[in-house]
Amino acid sequence: MKTRLPEHGPLETPRFWRTLEERIESPEAQSAAQDEFLPGAVPSFDDVHGLPVQQGFSRRDFLGLVSATAALAATVGCDRKGQGTVVPYTKRPVEVVPGVANFYASAWQEGRRVYPVLVKTREGRPIHITGNDEHPGTKGKTSPRTMADVLRLYDPDRLRAPKLDGRIQNWAEVESRLHAALVAAKGAGQSVLLVTGAVTSPSRKALLADLKAALPTLEHLALEPAAGDAAEEASRACFGQAVQIQPRLDRAEVILSLGADFLNGDDPEALGAWGAKRRLKHAKDVINRLWVLEGPMTLTGTNADVRIPVAPSRLGALAFTLAKELAAKGVPLPAGTDLSSISAGVPAELREASKLWADLLQDLHHAGRKAVVLCGAQMPAEAHQAAHLLNAMLGSEALTVRPAEPLATVKDLEAAAKGMAGGRYGTVVFWDVNPAFTFPGTTTWKDAVAKVPFRAWIGQVEDETAAQCQALLPENHWLESWGDFWTEGADVLQQPTVGTLYDTRQGEDILLGAIKALSGHGLGNYHAFLLDRWQRSLPAGTAFEQALHDGLVKVAAKATPPPFKGASVAPAARKAAASRADGLELVLFPGFATFDGRHGNNSWLQETPDPITKMTWDNPLSLSVQDAKALGIQEGDFVSLSLDGTTLKLPAVIQPGQAKGVLSLALGYGRGTGGVAKGVGLNAYPLMGLDPASANVRQGVRLAKAGGRKELSRTQSHHRMEGRDLVRSLTMDEFEHNPKGHRHMPELVSLYEEQKFPDHKWGMVIDLAACTGCSACVVACQSENNVPVVGPEQVAKGREMHWIRIDRYYEGELENPKVVHQPMLCQHCDSAPCENVCPVNATNHSPDGLNQMAYNRCVGTRYCANNCPYKVRRFNFLEYTAYKTEPETLVNNPEVTVRPRGVMEKCSFCVQRIQDVKIRAKGEGRSILDGEVTTACMAGCPADAIVFGDLKDPKSKVAQLVAASRAYRVLEEVGAKPAITYLADLKNPPLNAASNRGGHHAH
Amino acid sequence: MAAQDRRPFTDRLAALVAGPFLLGQRALALQWGESPGSPPEPPPEPPARLSLTPPEHAIKRRG
Repeated sequence: MKTRLPEHGPLETPRFWRTLEERIESPEAQSAAQDEFLPGAVPSFDDVHGLPVQQGFSRRDFLGLVSATAALAATVGCDRKGQGTVVPYTKRPVEVVPGVANFYASAWQEGRRVYPVLVKTREGRPIHITGNDEHPGTKGKTSPRTMADVLRLYDPDRLRAPKLDGRIQNWAEVESRLHAALVAAKGAGQSVLLVTGAVTSPSRKALLADLKAALPTLEHLALEPAAGDAAEEASRACFGQAVQIQPRLDRAEVILSLGADFLNGDDPEALGAWGAKRRLKHAKDVINRLWVLEGPMTLTGTNADVRIPVAPSRLGALAFTLAKELAAKGVPLPAGTDLSSISAGVPAELREASKLWADLLQDLHHAGRKAVVLCGAQMPAEAHQAAHLLNAMLGSEALTVRPAEPLATVKDLEAAAKGMAGGRYGTVVFWDVNPAFTFPGTTTWKDAVAKVPFRAWIGQVEDETAAQCQALLPENHWLESWGDFWTEGADVLQQPTVGTLYDTRQGEDILLGAIKALSGHGLGNYHAFLLDRWQRSLPAGTAFEQALHDGLVKVAAKATPPPFKGASVAPAARKAAASRADGLELVLFPGFATFDGRHGNNSWLQETPDPITKMTWDNPLSLSVQDAKALGIQEGDFVSLSLDGTTLKLPAVIQPGQAKGVLSLALGYGRGTGGVAKGVGLNAYPLMGLDPASANVRQGVRLAKAGGRKELSRTQSHHRMEGRDLVRSLTMDEFEHNPKGHRHMPELVSLYEEQKFPDHKWGMVIDLAACTGCSACVVACQSENNVPVVGPEQVAKGREMHWIRIDRYYEGELENPKVVHQPMLCQHCDSAPCENVCPVNATNHSPDGLNQMAYNRCVGTRYCANNCPYKVRRFNFLEYTAYKTEPETLVNNPEVTVRPRGVMEKCSFCVQRIQDVKIRAKGEGRSILDGEVTTACMAGCPADAIVFGDLKDPKSKVAQLVAASRAYRVLEEVGAKPAITYLADLKNPPLNAASNRGGHHAH
Repeated sequence: MAAQDRRPFTDRLAALVAGPFLLGQRALALQWGESPGSPPEPPPEPPARLSLTPPEHAIKRRG
């Protein structure tokens, strides 16, 4: 093969970089660029077998060993051990057809957010989760943590039977103790405390009302540590009640984020609308503009058109100033609003960016009802109140505000702890919550709980709270449960997709039992309770069975938004005006993998790299480049973080783009229980404040080097591509005038014959403008393709096994770089460099364009991985899966081979799904329809950034996108002819923005 | 030169003998049971098989 270089000289490549070492071109980075694999990733010959390294091993010794062992190995190879048995069903369940998947519609909640889903089961085992395509909001999409939650069903640490005083007991015994405690409390007029998660279910709410009627001394707290107490406080102040806010980005032309991370994968509805607005075919198409003011670098910040690093404590002041300026431009303030404490003009921290400030004001003013201001849940309460004010002023149509059930703040929890310590409660029941871990004052909480005479816990895996309770009542996983939820536009049903695996019950059934014991009359089980309620409320002509089949019943949006109280603004504005960003401030946010800690035991999530830091299995402290320089801190250095008498010693990572003076730390790590979670990272909850208005943003933090370093299990610098032209990003102006971005495709000359594809030629298009880097595709692929988890030590050696990764590139200045995310997976090259070098033809090309692997044939030479220009092949250096037993193995997809040690693997374009559709189409005597084959990553992508299909069909969506003007192939000059086409990223900065790349697409 | 690079005789002998010895032990055990001197293997634990039951009253979307 010969590549003719372009005549105009070297390609004009934008300066993209991924790590600080690359940016400053340190000697380590230069030498690492020469080494294809990380030190330790590829062991020397004998290290593979656990023997000491042999220096100068002679040929004679080698041949001696080989000849002596060959015959013996052949004999041992005849061992009949390890044979399994395959037996047919003696009595096959009616629902199960071997080899055919069943799909059930169901739903679950995480915090206040509800995820309608479709669950795939094989031979009775739920194995894969996607969004429910019938839901009008989420439209078949869901979140990474939802997809990963199927693994929690098979968590070996699940409690399998009830426990009383630390010993396994039967249900009757444990329930009788609980009922006796409740009846005694009722008789004595003593309070009973019930702590649960958010109430988003109408039937659960009705059940709690019934329980309250049967037990008038009941006090209920709904606890969601990741929901943000400040948001709750601001809602109560501005609307007089708790509200839930849902962005409607399909209606937004200008979006202002005040530290809001709405593109992080949690909100599939927002991501879907974002993707739809960003997948532009032509430069004349309408695009939105995202402004981000934030302290820590968030995923939303990385997707901003303009991002301004600002200390979170100052967000409220900036947003109120915007309101005052808009009012000066004639936008009316709500009645009773007093902004006299706010000074007009450019805020001090934005003096150097006064043009941007003016552009932002102009954008908001012009967009009016099509502008929306979103505030991050963890930001201070006054920033939330300012956002509510701005939305009220603009009359924004791009969000819905609807009443919600109230959540307990840290203040409520503190009051409960005082009540427990003072002997107020006779019984306390914790249902699916873990305040012993999430309450900031751990010791205070534990001492208080110990004073309650009877303590019961309902949950799945014994946790820090369970350790303090006498009665442990094991709960069903949601895939084994009944339920229902409110959502915008539909009432959603939850139904079991498998019978209970263990001797567990639904939490609701436990409460129904308590109601019966307290009131003397039973309401049946929760299924009957739910059925009764639904049959009374279903619209005429709709059967419950149909609702279960669909997973929902569509309803008209009926909730009227509560009116905004203008008078609530004045105190918040005064507080915001007085705010100062002095010294260091710490932002505590829910971990990408762990959320509030409930997913800590999920190894899929622990090993999915954090979208920003690319860290796995840890929660290091992120700090700005400026602060790291001032304090002399290097990446991986241990630092000591002190606040209010609590000190944590943890590793540091230097985060480009983080605002000066801002530190950020993920919550949900440092769990004390769970086979996977225990000991991973440090618990940051003790650093949270007891003032709900600023619980997650803390000032007065002290930071110092603590001595020593930690090897970070970080994938950021793995599989480096040596600064080639891999990722492309255009402004709207460039897209209109020069969509190829001044790049010239070299003319490729090949001696190889063109491959022929008689029927299909599978290909993929990935739109970098729509991709937010949320990593939903990574989790979807892991679940679909039995991708193994390798653990932090192996990740540190660069041996992670993900078939798809998200490469995150920075461009520009360290203090505020532009960011582009690029999903990278096997490119299924037509002239694949990996195929040519395989000595046993284990990797070869299929007639429909797939670069396929024959695992049984692979002998593990790893030549293919060395020769792959994209570094997407993964080698099983150790036995990662064979020693797993039930229940862990039950999550495996039976259509995908589990790979043993010594075998190479990589993306297969979900060949099992292609074959499934092929067989179905052949059986029905028709051809495959466009869009009928979906890869797991495509189905999992909430922004629809990935499109898969037949390139031979000129009418297919994928074939049309390949011809788009933003299209390019990565490393096309190598001549490998990849089957994946990327569409260049788009940014829409205002005219003459700081980057000085103007566009005229302002709104 | 090559002779200087070679490891001590005992190391080479150990490497030469260890592999064939261990494999030979396994090979003999296949035919005549456990060879004398080898530690007795603990009896394998019976696999804890979970019985999977279909969900009651659920309605599947397709399958």
